[in-house]
Amino acid sequence: MTSRELPNPGWGPLSALPGNPLMWVLILSEMLVFSAFFALYSAERVAATALFDASQRQLDPLMGGLNTLVLLTSGLFVALAVEAVSAKRIRRTRQWLGATMVLGVLFCVIKGIEYVGKFSAGITPETNAFFGFYFGLTAFHFAHVLFGLALMALVTWRTSTENVETAAAFWHMVDLIWILLYPLLYLLR
Amino acid sequence: MTALPGTRRLLTTWATLMALTVLSIVSARLDQSSWQALPLWSAGLVIAATGFKAQRLLMVYLNLRAATPAWRGTFVGLVVLTLALIAGGYLTARLAG
Repeated sequence: MTSRELPNPGWGPLSALPGNPLMWVLILSEMLVFSAFFALYSAERVAATALFDASQRQLDPLMGGLNTLVLLTSGLFVALAVEAVSAKRIRRTRQWLGATMVLGVLFCVIKGIEYVGKFSAGITPETNAFFGFYFGLTAFHFAHVLFGLALMALVTWRTSTENVETAAAFWHMVDLIWILLYPLLYLLR
Repeated sequence: MTALPGTRRLLTTWATLMALTVLSIVSARLDQSSWQALPLWSAGLVIAATGFKAQRLLMVYLNLRAATPAWRGTFVGLVVLTLALIAGGYLTARLAG
């Protein structure tokens, strides 16, 4: 790839990345942070396998799976919004962004139902190490979803190719983290 | 602006991601009424499906295929490292337990 073909000339090593280079810095750092938490979770699981197994039984993997399907579909919608904005179809872009936000809210509702179920069963982050990780990791991810929704609302208002691309990259990062989080907490037992 | 994946590729990727998610759920044998540890092949399938999903998301949704091989390798390598940590912790817990 010559410098003339680089998506972001003038950004040094980041020049070769598509979209907003700073968003890639954020994606890389978020992946590293979550990977460190995953490593910590794995180490704690080795130290208390029986406790983690017993606690994991109290999660509903189908709810987690449903949320995975919802987030993946929202990822498609936001990618279609990027396509629409690059074709200067602003109205269609806003429609896709709106659809993305609806699914983002649905993700939050499903997660909220899960949290309410746990709290009403007397399960809190203080219950044990597993639930400390469960609430900590999913709440941290949840906060990213909320921030992503705020970004979507902002770029629906201020619609430009760069803004939509940047918000979409953040949303895909949130999606990517959930893809890794879901099997760790819900499926691998 | 770099070349985008195109609607057809986006839809194919979405269908693949959805199918792999359903495959993960099925291979984790959630239909079983009694809770038990996964067979290793099933756990392996869940991890492999997760890795492929993450790779597709990076390459298509995040359009990383438009970047240089070095950047593609960095991000895919990080996903592989993360999955290795998850798989390593899971296997160690299984063997110790």
